[in-house]
Amino acid sequence: MLTKGLFFDGVSSTPQHVAVRLDTQNGNLTISNDGITLAAWPLSSIESEQSEQVLHIYEYKNSLAYLKIPEVGFHLYLQKYLHENGYLSWYQRLIIAGTHVHLAIVAFLMAFIVVGYFYILPEVAAAAAEMLPETFDDSIGNTVYAEFVTESTIDSTKTAQLNAFASKIRFNNKKKIKYIVVKSATVNAFALPNGTVVVYTGIVDQMKHYEELAALLGHEVAHINNRHSIKMLCKNLSGYLFISAVLSDVNGIMAVIGDNVNNLQSLSHSRNFEKQADVDGLQTLVNNHINPNGMIDLFKRLQQATKHEMTSLEFLSTHPVTTERLKYISGLIAEKKMDINHQPQLEQLFKQLKAK
Amino acid sequence: MESTPSTNKSYQLNFIGNGSSFFSIIAINWLLTAITLGFYYPWAKEKKLKYLYGSTTLNNDHFQFLGTGKEMFKGYIKALVLMVVLFAIFIGIVEKGHPNLATLVLYLSLAAILPFAIHGTYRYRMSKTIWRGIRFGYRGDRNELVRNFFTWVFYTIISFGIYAAWFTVNLRNYIFNNIRLGDIEFKSKAKGDDYFWLNVRGYFFTIFTLGIYMFWWQANLFNFYINNLSLEKGEQTIELRSTATAGGFFKLIIVNLLIIVFTFGFGYAWAVTRTLKFITSNIQLEGDIDLDTVFQTEASYNDATGEDISDYLNSDIVI
Repeated sequence: MLTKGLFFDGVSSTPQHVAVRLDTQNGNLTISNDGITLAAWPLSSIESEQSEQVLHIYEYKNSLAYLKIPEVGFHLYLQKYLHENGYLSWYQRLIIAGTHVHLAIVAFLMAFIVVGYFYILPEVAAAAAEMLPETFDDSIGNTVYAEFVTESTIDSTKTAQLNAFASKIRFNNKKKIKYIVVKSATVNAFALPNGTVVVYTGIVDQMKHYEELAALLGHEVAHINNRHSIKMLCKNLSGYLFISAVLSDVNGIMAVIGDNVNNLQSLSHSRNFEKQADVDGLQTLVNNHINPNGMIDLFKRLQQATKHEMTSLEFLSTHPVTTERLKYISGLIAEKKMDINHQPQLEQLFKQLKAK
Repeated sequence: MESTPSTNKSYQLNFIGNGSSFFSIIAINWLLTAITLGFYYPWAKEKKLKYLYGSTTLNNDHFQFLGTGKEMFKGYIKALVLMVVLFAIFIGIVEKGHPNLATLVLYLSLAAILPFAIHGTYRYRMSKTIWRGIRFGYRGDRNELVRNFFTWVFYTIISFGIYAAWFTVNLRNYIFNNIRLGDIEFKSKAKGDDYFWLNVRGYFFTIFTLGIYMFWWQANLFNFYINNLSLEKGEQTIELRSTATAGGFFKLIIVNLLIIVFTFGFGYAWAVTRTLKFITSNIQLEGDIDLDTVFQTEASYNDATGEDISDYLNSDIVI
């Protein structure tokens, strides 16, 4: 098969009129001018591209030379020949497969992402968290705590009182728990993975009964016992890695969407963790014969406080009190068989803690 | 040759790609990136650049990107190693109890890498871009760029950021004045003053007009960049002239935004091809350089980012 073309030799941009022959015997594309062969390109190393009725052929392995062929009949013949004789790479075959195949690929990926993200990933993350040693929890907790201490004022008297209060309660904790009271009007309390429970004076000020404090501690210690922080970290991290690995080449917008999906998902994880901490915290109250309604009182009081006071209620932003939450806690209390004893020791310690 | 009177020639810059074929490239990239857990990234970049460059034509001949995934993968690994080292140093200083010092060191070293990265990127990209078999090239001197870069950074700091406009323009001029296509040289004669006032005006008018002036600002920036560029070959020149208008930018930006929002990002391919079509169709070339007699002058440069970054690592990162 013979045709005419324009040839650029890779030395200058001057176009040369050439004769082009597809030499099937030697598997070459031969380019000649007035009977002199300028180049013989092996079919296995050419790349071609068709646009606006012109076929552009390159052979980069040995030179920057470039060939343009205007005859449409020759394009079709060459493309068909290359395809049928296995000269096209898997990538070129994938490209010429057509838009419907590419749309199918995208649909498949979407399905893969959904299945992977919502069903496979949580399992992997949980397994990863299990594999991490407890020392990891400690070192993360210590780092956060070191940072936190520099920015806060610890009330050492109240810290001692809170530790005395907590020592009267059995939490089923595997790790040694350290309680800290921080002077701050902020209504907040949190647990660090190294076994530190931080309680702000602001939240203690809101409480009326020792049962509420016991409920708060029960809830926070449950976070530590269940290693919720580390599990959350693993989930967020693996979610982020998964999303960025899958979407890295798509575009910025997809990455942003992916990121938000990840955030939403981690929010619902955190709801599950909160629920587990409520359930376990409630069990701690029951085990210690403390009135479990303390937990309901605590949440209701915090809810009330939002309406009346201007103090910053950070605890509620991470522990939203919803009617649903109060309902399942009440449900759990109703289910449980328990004997409640008045605990004068706890009451006494609680009063000391409340005193200015 | 010199005695022949120069006559004006015609030049045509075009983008002939379309959204659906670019979408195919992206879809396949996406698939391969996903199943290789992200390691396909450099090859995906190669395919993307090949399509976009290959769809841009000058006088009906394609530009071509000849870089390979393999080269970019090597660069990517080197860059990764560099980042790991930087963060290890950061963590090391934090562990010693100096978090502020660690942050300072990290930011300074990242800033210090920038001119090296710019140099490496242009060397590689230009060397791998061809037209009619002729390579582009970047002949900037790395040490000179680094010296200039830090001088400009210094001026920017002592002028409380005002010099940033001149910084941007100087950097742009430096880069463009070192770019060439074979024996044709690029020239950029942009002035920092113009750029500064253009942005001051753009900033305040955009506020006064509640954002509407943004499109004029955008058009002015584009015109500023393009109208200051030209090509030179001995006595012959080609001047670049922008025909972009605020209305054009308005239509481009709003429609792209709608495409992306209403397709949940899947219309990205169409937004990109529309943008490139807009850019190429708004650049006119006028002059007398004969594009049929451009000669190869540049050698191939295969290091995707690495050389510069590793040189840097060996020399002064420890200090």
